[in-house]
Amino acid sequence: MRSRLKIVTIAFGAAVVLPLGAGSAFAADADTTAQLAPVALNGVEGSGTAMVSVEGTMLTVTMAASGLLPDAPHAAHIHFGAEARNECPTAADDASGDGTLTTPEGAPAYGGIVVSLTKSGDTSPDSGLAVDRFDTAPGGEISYERGSIEVAPEIADAIASGKAAVVIHGVDHNDSGAYDGDVMSELDPALPTEATDPALCGVLMAAPAGGVATGAGGAASAGTDQGLLMAGGALLVAAAGAGAFAARRATAKV
Amino acid sequence: MSTTSRLDGRHRVLAVAALGLALLGVVALVLAFRGQPGPPQPDAAVTAGEAVAPQDATVPGPAQPQPAVPAAEPAVDFGPVMAGSTPVGLEIPAIGLDTDVLVPLTVGADGVLPAPVDYATAGWHTRGPMPGQLGPAVIAGHVDGPDGEGIFYRLGELVAGDVVTVTREDGTVATFTVDSVGRYPKAEFPTSLVYGNTTSRAEIRLITCGGAFDRTTGHYVDNIVVFGHLTA
Repeated sequence: MRSRLKIVTIAFGAAVVLPLGAGSAFAADADTTAQLAPVALNGVEGSGTAMVSVEGTMLTVTMAASGLLPDAPHAAHIHFGAEARNECPTAADDASGDGTLTTPEGAPAYGGIVVSLTKSGDTSPDSGLAVDRFDTAPGGEISYERGSIEVAPEIADAIASGKAAVVIHGVDHNDSGAYDGDVMSELDPALPTEATDPALCGVLMAAPAGGVATGAGGAASAGTDQGLLMAGGALLVAAAGAGAFAARRATAKV
Repeated sequence: MSTTSRLDGRHRVLAVAALGLALLGVVALVLAFRGQPGPPQPDAAVTAGEAVAPQDATVPGPAQPQPAVPAAEPAVDFGPVMAGSTPVGLEIPAIGLDTDVLVPLTVGADGVLPAPVDYATAGWHTRGPMPGQLGPAVIAGHVDGPDGEGIFYRLGELVAGDVVTVTREDGTVATFTVDSVGRYPKAEFPTSLVYGNTTSRAEIRLITCGGAFDRTTGHYVDNIVVFGHLTA
């Protein structure tokens, strides 16, 4: 008896927990777009757009950017942090005061890496610095398209609700045409900080809901006015009746 | 004796009244049918469920022999894509539209893209791509105001092949070619098709109102959407 009660309790608990899990996994369908703009202080004269559609926990990413250091790997990620401001960094985020922003300095704004936008293979944060699998921006331009990127439900929700940012890294601060310099990256001591500093950033904003109220009716088709139609008909019938009566009286008098 | 003179006073009044009533009736009927034509409408209302991306369909051809040398990773080709620059002017020669004012439209807390305040001014969706950038750039304008035609009154006349140009702040001009024109009930607006990640090239969407005007709500029941892609 006691064991049966225990089984019933477990079953009940599972029944309550399962729908919650399933619900949050499929509640996040959305279309989002980020305007990629130069990161403050880092001086990249570039721009771009990134579109991320969310279907359940599956992402499709389409991204184009220009104005980047040509023929050099540009790590690109979706960033999000539950404790972050969910925006792109500003000059005030330059904690070191050296006049440029590193990726860790931007973290209070955009959080950590949640998706690595690699061209092939793994897309988890583990591939955040997999420089051999990122776009090398021939001509300074990135053209990126990848679907079927699986993420955790909370990441899908964060993206769908406009809290995630796309960041493209790699800045040629000294205009040498390559990633170099004495300052090494805080993320990977084998790489110059130029290779990982944030170049372009944009917050993924949800698409508008529905259409646009673009009319006030001042030039709308008026069509036929039912009231006037009936009034006109009634007047004509009355006129016919009055006319007929007048004619009959006139004839009768002869 | 003439017929008229045979009518005494009372009957003459009756005859004149009949004539007057007939005239009033005709006037009322003419007024009833004389509605203003209303803005041009695209031919078929498309329901969201039937909506298909107005892009060139990629039809898989017959199997091709593999090249002897393995190709590098296939490059993604988005066609022409321009750098970001704020749109400042719009020209659509087919409907005689030429304006050098475009106001920014910012999605509100309700998630809805607001229409421009001024009926004679079009606006652009600031959270989307700028015209010329990858993705669907959106420009919206009124079909009419309370007293007459709005800037996009003739938008529904556009057909595939018509040209739309957007001048940008950096002096460059984005030239789009219209692919299709759709009319969608606002209740079934194809949000992803219009604003979403459904294009692999730089495209444009021109939005105005269409269909019947609901005098109870003060709104048109449909949206007309012109779809185009960047050609130069």
